[in-house]
Amino acid sequence: MSTRRAAPRSGRPTRLHSAVFQPIGDEGRAALVQRRVAEAIMSGVLAAGERLPAETELAAAFGVAPATAREALLALRERGLIVTRRGRSGGSFIADSADPVRFATRTLLDGSRVSLRDAAQHYLALTSACVELAAQRADVSEIAMIRTRLERISDHDLAAWRMAADDAVIELAALSQSARLTREQMKLQGEFSPLLALVDTDPASRVESRAHLLEVLRAVGSGDADGAARALRDNTRFAVDWLIAYREQHIGIISLATTSPERIRP
Amino acid sequence: MKIHPAPPASYTTAEHPVEIVREYFARAIDALADWKDALAVEIAPLRRSASLTTSRLDELVEPSALRLFDTVDLPVYGSGFIAALDSLADASSHLAWWQGPERAQLVLAAQSVNKEHIDYSELEWYRVPFATGEPHVAGPYVDYLCSDEYTITVAAPVHIDGEFVGAVALDLLIDRVERDLTPRLAVFGNDISIVNGVGRVLLSTSPARATGDTIRGDDLAGFERFACPGMALDVLIARA
Repeated sequence: MSTRRAAPRSGRPTRLHSAVFQPIGDEGRAALVQRRVAEAIMSGVLAAGERLPAETELAAAFGVAPATAREALLALRERGLIVTRRGRSGGSFIADSADPVRFATRTLLDGSRVSLRDAAQHYLALTSACVELAAQRADVSEIAMIRTRLERISDHDLAAWRMAADDAVIELAALSQSARLTREQMKLQGEFSPLLALVDTDPASRVESRAHLLEVLRAVGSGDADGAARALRDNTRFAVDWLIAYREQHIGIISLATTSPERIRP
Repeated sequence: MKIHPAPPASYTTAEHPVEIVREYFARAIDALADWKDALAVEIAPLRRSASLTTSRLDELVEPSALRLFDTVDLPVYGSGFIAALDSLADASSHLAWWQGPERAQLVLAAQSVNKEHIDYSELEWYRVPFATGEPHVAGPYVDYLCSDEYTITVAAPVHIDGEFVGAVALDLLIDRVERDLTPRLAVFGNDISIVNGVGRVLLSTSPARATGDTIRGDDLAGFERFACPGMALDVLIARA
């Protein structure tokens, strides 16, 4: 790359200034469609066995040409995320092996402790900002509604519990009354949720996660911004400790992971 | 819902902040009132023959939803019909919704892939018109389902033979409402705020009051409070 950069009139290019002129990723539309579906699978929004809409329907939904949708489906199939069955009840289905927990395990084992801690810190910083604002701004009735919905879901069913917990966090974020923070939270929740789902495969952890989340809600509901941030910090620390312990325990099979990732079992 | 006291007779309607606010949102409520009647007539035969599907509903709603953008004198950001839960032949829920500068149809990720997943029964713009049978100005709230923006949704219930079949609604972005109303209210004073049913500030002529904050409890003592007739909004005017 050329070292010459467009400089502002002051003649001193700032760091932010040079960031403007970084190359733009030349991702095609098919790649975007592929990424959107892959993220939905990895975050558990699309569950194993679920049927994807037909190619034409998918194309219409995403506003792309059918050929683009086909290309994306092909790539998803090659990555083993979907399977295609022929015949009358055929179509594309989310592969059984494409489950978020297994994906999270792979991410955890392939990554490092430092990357995990960094991701957790990012998640904590954003979520804390949201709940602190929510604690100032939310009405008790709004918190009560989130709480009621959460209490309706038992933590016996991992997938249902994770979905309810993610929803509760997004709803809390929205109570910050900040559109920008809420959008960021939605993006980050999708990335971080698979790791939280891995923690929650342990029924004892699920009890702990639920207690933490209810404590965050209680604190926000009573206008206690510090208490909400503290509960969130405790929960993140708990999750990170659990994940690191899990990683240490499973790191032995990391050599296997590089040759045959399918053999990792959470 | 709380009962709104009648506005005091001490002011002449045309020159009071309450009237400005009421008239502004009444444009939406009135437009939705006309639309809901027309739509009910179109939907009724399809319901009787049990052939009301999401795609038939989309076809039916689209022309009038798009027309609303141009016929209402408001910065409409989104418009459409939200079906009552479990009222369609092929899905448990559906939003026939158009929004944004392109007025593009909303396709929710969950809607395109699994039509069963969206439960909007507890969201204010659905819950209140459903429960009260009356139009409602919902928000301000961060709309993480449709616009992803800080939004006000005005919604009116649609009934066929006394049965709730859904709601027609339109979205306004606070960003635009602020620019429309703040200068008009500023003429009357430098600490006038519009708040909703939970005391959340929609906008204020005081630069010190942030939209999204709440004014309630003891803080209310410093204000004279005027209810906007026909909507759950109050105008707070700081006491001199």
